[in-house]
Amino acid sequence: MRPLSDSDPKEFIAGFFTSFSEELLRDDEDPAAIVDRYHTKDIIETADGHRMDRDKLIAHTRPVRKNRPISRMEVHEAVADGDRIAARYTLHVQQRKKEFAMEVYFFGQFAGDGRMRRAHMLTRTVPAGEKGDQATAALGEQAAPA
Amino acid sequence: MINSIYTVLGMACGHCADAVTEELERVPGVTAVEVHVEADRVSVTSDRELDLAQVRAAVEEAGYELTAHNT
Repeated sequence: MRPLSDSDPKEFIAGFFTSFSEELLRDDEDPAAIVDRYHTKDIIETADGHRMDRDKLIAHTRPVRKNRPISRMEVHEAVADGDRIAARYTLHVQQRKKEFAMEVYFFGQFAGDGRMRRAHMLTRTVPAGEKGDQATAALGEQAAPA
Repeated sequence: MINSIYTVLGMACGHCADAVTEELERVPGVTAVEVHVEADRVSVTSDRELDLAQVRAAVEEAGYELTAHNT
């Protein structure tokens, strides 16, 4: 994982989620170890008002592994300021024989080694298959948590 | 009407709530499902006594883990 300071913000955020998801789905490695490689121990993520700490994040890996979502992430824009990053992206997800897409407004803070410390995400569902306004980081078929 | 409360682990967002709700609504007798993501709690209203094994199977099918039946 590259530090945010050495990366293009768009590539950083796309790479972070893509790599985390790939590691989760690659094998049966202890999910806590994978979560800890990508997040500081005091991680707090808030998604649409739902607060997730490390334990909840680890618990959420179970449905991700069970449902094995296939997703494609389009990062429309991303800006970084020191250890913080703001990004807007669309996740196109195929899961449990259904397709959906959600646009995500992301604000995050990362440690110097690239691990996530804080994140706030607001999401809105958009029609499945709808293209983002500017597909700037089409990453191909990737697995990512939904 | 019977109301049952279950503890379900792994839910993180509204999409998780939708997946759990969808599967539980398939269980015969279920008339309503209410999910509290942050509390890991699912409230199920039914017109009959529910079979815990069926409820657990529905939650598992959605990918989540039912750890307690609180009612």
